[in-house]
Amino acid sequence: MAKVQVLNVAVLDNPSPFGNPFQFEITFECMEDLPEDLEWKIIYVGSAESEEYDQTLDSVLVGPVPAGRHMFVFQADAPNTGLIPESDAVGVTVVLITCTYRGQEFIRIGYYVNNEYTDPELRENPPLKPDYTQLQRNILASNPRVTRFHINWEGSADRMEDSENVDPAPNISGMLPPSCIPGKVPPLGLMPDNSMDCM
Amino acid sequence: MKLLKPSWVSHNGKPIFSVDIHPDGTKFATGGQGEDSGKVMIWNMAPVLREEDEKNENIPKMLCQMDNHLACVNCVRWSNNGLYLASGGDDKLVMVWKRAAFIGPSTVFGSSSKLANVEQWRCVTILRNHTGDVMDVAWSPHDVWLASCSVDNTIVIWNARKFPEMVTCLRGHTGLVKGLTWDPVGKYIASQADDHSLKVWRTMDWQLETNITKPFSECGGTTHVLRLSWSPDGQYLVSAHAMNNSGPTAQIVERDGWKTNMDFVGHRKAVTVVKFNPKIFKKKQKNGGSPKPSCPYCCCAVGSKDRSLSVWLTSLKRPLVVIHDLFDKSIMDISWTLTGLGILVCSMDGTVAYLDFSLDELGDPLNEEEKNTIHQNIYGKSLAITSTEAQLSTTIIENPEMLKYQQERQNAAQAGSGPGGAGLESTAPKLNSVMNGESLEDIRKNLLKKQVETRTADGRRRITPLCIAQLDTGDFSPALFNSVPILPGSSMPSQLTPQLSSDSSQGQASSLGLRPSHDTLLTSPPVKQSLLLTSASKIEPMKALDSRFTERSKATPGVTAVISSTAEKLGKLNKVKQKSETRNKEETSSDSEDKMAAINKNLSFTKRKADLLMDGGEVVEKRKKGRPRKDKMATPISQPFTQREPSRAAATPAPVAALKLPTPSIQKAFSLQVSMEPSVFLEVENDVSVVAGSKLSQLRCSRDGREWDTLLPSSVVTAAGSSDVIAVACEDRMLSVFSSCGRRLLPAIQLATPMSALHCSSHFVMALTAGARLSVWDVQKQTALVKNESLLTIMSGADTTVSQSLLTQQGVPVIGLSSGKSYCFNSSLETWTLIADKGDSLVQCADFRSCLPSHDAPVSSGPLAVMQGRNLNAGRLASRLSSTPHHLQQSMTLAFLENQLAAALTLLSAQEYRYWLLIYARFLVNEGSEYRLRELCKELLGPVHKSAATAWEPTTLGLRKRELLRELLPVIGQNLRFQRLFTEYQEQLELLRNK
Repeated sequence: MAKVQVLNVAVLDNPSPFGNPFQFEITFECMEDLPEDLEWKIIYVGSAESEEYDQTLDSVLVGPVPAGRHMFVFQADAPNTGLIPESDAVGVTVVLITCTYRGQEFIRIGYYVNNEYTDPELRENPPLKPDYTQLQRNILASNPRVTRFHINWEGSADRMEDSENVDPAPNISGMLPPSCIPGKVPPLGLMPDNSMDCM
Repeated sequence: MKLLKPSWVSHNGKPIFSVDIHPDGTKFATGGQGEDSGKVMIWNMAPVLREEDEKNENIPKMLCQMDNHLACVNCVRWSNNGLYLASGGDDKLVMVWKRAAFIGPSTVFGSSSKLANVEQWRCVTILRNHTGDVMDVAWSPHDVWLASCSVDNTIVIWNARKFPEMVTCLRGHTGLVKGLTWDPVGKYIASQADDHSLKVWRTMDWQLETNITKPFSECGGTTHVLRLSWSPDGQYLVSAHAMNNSGPTAQIVERDGWKTNMDFVGHRKAVTVVKFNPKIFKKKQKNGGSPKPSCPYCCCAVGSKDRSLSVWLTSLKRPLVVIHDLFDKSIMDISWTLTGLGILVCSMDGTVAYLDFSLDELGDPLNEEEKNTIHQNIYGKSLAITSTEAQLSTTIIENPEMLKYQQERQNAAQAGSGPGGAGLESTAPKLNSVMNGESLEDIRKNLLKKQVETRTADGRRRITPLCIAQLDTGDFSPALFNSVPILPGSSMPSQLTPQLSSDSSQGQASSLGLRPSHDTLLTSPPVKQSLLLTSASKIEPMKALDSRFTERSKATPGVTAVISSTAEKLGKLNKVKQKSETRNKEETSSDSEDKMAAINKNLSFTKRKADLLMDGGEVVEKRKKGRPRKDKMATPISQPFTQREPSRAAATPAPVAALKLPTPSIQKAFSLQVSMEPSVFLEVENDVSVVAGSKLSQLRCSRDGREWDTLLPSSVVTAAGSSDVIAVACEDRMLSVFSSCGRRLLPAIQLATPMSALHCSSHFVMALTAGARLSVWDVQKQTALVKNESLLTIMSGADTTVSQSLLTQQGVPVIGLSSGKSYCFNSSLETWTLIADKGDSLVQCADFRSCLPSHDAPVSSGPLAVMQGRNLNAGRLASRLSSTPHHLQQSMTLAFLENQLAAALTLLSAQEYRYWLLIYARFLVNEGSEYRLRELCKELLGPVHKSAATAWEPTTLGLRKRELLRELLPVIGQNLRFQRLFTEYQEQLELLRNK
C-alpha cells in the first residue's frame, strides 16, 4: 500500500516561453505521518533518443509530511539549452516528475511537452540553430501519464523489487500520443493501464 | 433457480476470501489477495443481475478498489446502515471505509478511464489491537459495535459509534478464532475457533454464556475460515466445521438451552461457511386461498471445502439444492441479498458465483413488521426499536438525578449528530483552522510565494507542504471539494464520462459539482488537438519517449549538474542573506531553539524580562549560525556539521561545573509596563546625576497616573514589578523592593552574583542570579519562600540553559529550560518538581479529546498552560493522527492527566487544577475506571463524621473539595454503569449539607 497518493498535479504557467521556469502544483495525500522527507524531481528529457540528454532540472525535499492532504508548488528553472541536442529542441518531448521516499521511486508522472515557434514564419522555416527565445513550451497538461511503483515504505530498501512494478509495457507498442490521431480522442483501450492505487 | 458466474469479478485470478452484498443491494464488496497487498474491491451489482447492464459499456462494473491493506484481506462486511465497510486482513488491521460523497466519481490521478474508481471509498479509521491475522469481522445489530476475531485467539469488540475506541477484548479461545456472528436480537455474540469450540458471549457483561465443544471434538485438519451464522429469528445458531459420526456437518445449536441435537449433514469435506438468509419465510400461498397458518421457517446456505454449496430450508429435512463443482477450490464466503432471493458465493479459486432464487422456491418472505412481531413474541422486544446502547437499554435507571443526566446526555448527542446545519458548522472551524480562514483558491493563488522553503544542512531545497486537510475524520467538507476542482477529471471530461452512466459526455461537469467559474484557475486550457500533431517521422522517437514514462530513473547525469548549481545558488543566497536582517532568519529556520525564542517573545507574562534574558541567548545563537555560514561561503560543499560543533562549544557560555546564567546588560535608560490593572509603568534612568563622586540612578513609577520616583546609588540593571511591589536590581548586586506607592519595603538585599532575571508577582519577588541560584521572598510576611536554591539539580547536561522563568501569583517560581523541561520549586517539599516536558511522549499520545469540556474555554493563562503552551496542542493533534493501540493509549492518557493534576497542584494553580480534574474525571467515567474514580470521590468527600484524628483538609488550593465533588457528579451520572457510585456519593453529599 502506498502511503502517499498523488491526487493532482496542476501545470501552472502553461503554455509559456521556453525560458520560463516549470511550475507544478502538486496535491498529495499521506496516510500516516512520514518520518522522512519526500524527494521530488523534475527531469527534462532532452532527446527521445537517449537518456544521456536527460536533465534533472531540480530536486526538492518536501517535509515534514504528517498524515493528511497537502499541496505545494514545485518550481524549477527551464532546461539548460546547451545540453539539448539541436535537432531535438523543437517538437515533442517529455518532462517527468518523480517522487522518491527513502531513495525509492514510487511515482513517476510524465507529460508530453511540445516546443514550437509561435511565429508562423519561424514555424514554416525553422532556423537551423534553434532560437530558444522564440520557442513556446506547451505541456499537455490534460494527459498526465502516471506510473506507480511498489516500494518498501518501512525502513530499509532491501525489499524493493522491480517485478512488483505493474508495468504497462505490453501496451507501449500500441501507444501513440493522443493527438497523433487528428481530431479524435484516442480510443481509451489503447492507453496503458497503469498500476492503480485507490484513494 | 438461476446460476451465474460473472467472470469479470476477479482479483486478477488471486483468491477471493470474502464477499458481502451492500444492504441496498446495488453493490457488493470482495476482499482477498492483491498484487502485493490485500485488496478490497467494490463492484456494481446491476451487471450481475441484468445481462443488458453487463453488456452496456457505460455501466461501470468495478466501482472502487482499495489496495491499502498490507496483506491479504480475509473479510469484508458492510455495516447494517450501509454507510461503512469494514475489512480485516492478515496485516492484523481492521479498516473501516466510508464513501467520500463529495469527491464524486473521478479517476485515480493519471489513470485511464476503465479501471477508474467510480466511487471513492476512503479509510476513515484503522483499528489496531490484534496481534495476528484478522479472520472475520461482524457488525452488531444497529451498528453499535463492530467485532473482529483473529488468530491471536481473541475477539475485540469496537465501539462503532466512537472508533477507534475499544469496548472489550474477549479472551478464552485457545486456538485461532475464525468466525463471528451476532445474535440478531443483540444479546449474544458467538465465535468459532480452531480450538474445537464454539463460544457464546453475552453482550450485557461480555462474559462467556456457553462453551460448546462436543460436536467439534472430532474435528481434524483446519479450514481457512469458520464462518458461523445465527438465524434471523434468533432461534438457531449454525456452526461451520463440526463432526458427527466422523462425517463433516454444520452443527445446529438451539438458543433454548444451547442444545446440539441437529445438524446439516452431507458435505464431504469440512464446512467453511454458513450464512442464513436475512428473511424469514412462510409457505407460498397457493391460488390466493385463505392463509393456512403455517410455521415460518428460515433458509440457510452452507459452503464447504468440498467446493459445493447447499441451500437448506429449516422446514425441510433435505437440502433445497446442492450445487457441486461450482468452483475449483474451497468456498470461502457467502452473502445473501437483503431481499433474500439472491446469493453471492466466493471461492479460493478467485471466482464468484451468483444464485438467483424465485419466491416459488423459497416461499413468501415475511415483511419487517411480521419479522418484528416474531421477535416481539419470542424476546418481548422488537429489533425495530433502536436503542443507542443495547447493553444499557435494559438497565433500569434507579435514580431520578441519574435519569436527568442520562437524558441531558442523549439530548446533547442528538444535537451533535443532527444532520445538516449543526454538522456543517462543526466541520467548518476545523477547516478554517487548517487554512487560516482562507479559501483554497486564495491559497492556491499565492502558494508559491507563501510556501515555506528552507535549505537543509547540505544546501538542498526543502519545501514544507501546505496541509489542506487532515485525515482524522475522513469526511471532507463539501465546501472544500465543490469550490475547487482539483479533480484530475476536471480537465479531461472525455476520459471521465464513460464510467458514469449512459448519459452523453457533455454536461457531466455539472454533475461533478464543478463550477465553470473556476476554469480560470486551471492553468491548462483545453489542449488543441493540433498541438501535438507531428509528422509521421516523429512517431518512432515518440515511442522512445513513451518508454520514459514508465522506467524507473537510473542515476541521471543531471544530478551532478544540479548539485553544483545548487551550490552556486547557495552562495548567491548567502550573500543576500548576510545583508538581510537576522530576524528573517528566525522565520525561515526550523531550528527549535529559534522557535523557543519566538514563543518566549510572545509571552506576555515575562514580557520585558524574557526579552532581556533572550537577548543574551540570541547573541550566542547568532554566533552559532553565523560562523558556519562564512565557512560555507568559502568552501560551498564543505561539511557544515563539523564546523558547527566546535563553534557551538565555544559559544556556550560556561561549562556545567560552574553554572552561569546570562545577565542583562546595563542600559542608559529603559521603561516597562509591569501591570495592566492597575496600569503601572516603570521608568529607569541610569547616571542621572553625579553627587559627591557617586553616580545616581533614578527609578520613576507611574501608577494609574500618579507618579513617584526614587534615587538609587548604583546603575539599575533590571527592574520588575507587580500591582503590589516593585523590585529593582542594581549593578552593585543590590536588590531593592518598594511598595506600589514608593515606600521601601525591605532594606537592600545583597546578592552573591549579579541578577539574571527578576520577577514580581502579587507580593512575591523572585530573583534568579547569574550564579544559577534562585530566591523567592514573600514581601508581605517578610519571609523567604525559597532560599538561595541552586539550579544545578535541574540543569544537568551540557547545553541546557534557562529559556524562561516566571513567578506565579501564588509565589511559585517556575524555570523553563532549553531542554524543554520546566520545573517549579516546591517550597513545602523543598525540591524541584517537574511540571512540563516538551519531549514527553505521554503528551504526544494522550487522547482526551472526548473529555474536553464543551462550553468551558480551556485555561490558557495559568502557569501550567503557559509552560506547556503550544506543545499541549501539538500533542492533541498528534494523538488524533497517530494510532496507538487503544489500551496503550488509554494508559498513556491516564498517566498524562494525572501528571497534569499533580503539576497544577504543585503550581498552586487552582483554576487549572479544577480544569484538569474535570477532564480527568470525565476520562475515568468514559473509560469506566471504577477504582480510580471511587478513590477520587472518596478523597474529595472526606470523612463524613468528624473526628479529631483525620488529617483531611476540606479544601485544596482554596477550592472546597466537596464543591468539586458536586461538580463531578453530573459527569459521573453520564455513565449508567456508575449509577451506584453516583447515588452513593450524592446521598452522602446531601447528608453532609443537611448537617
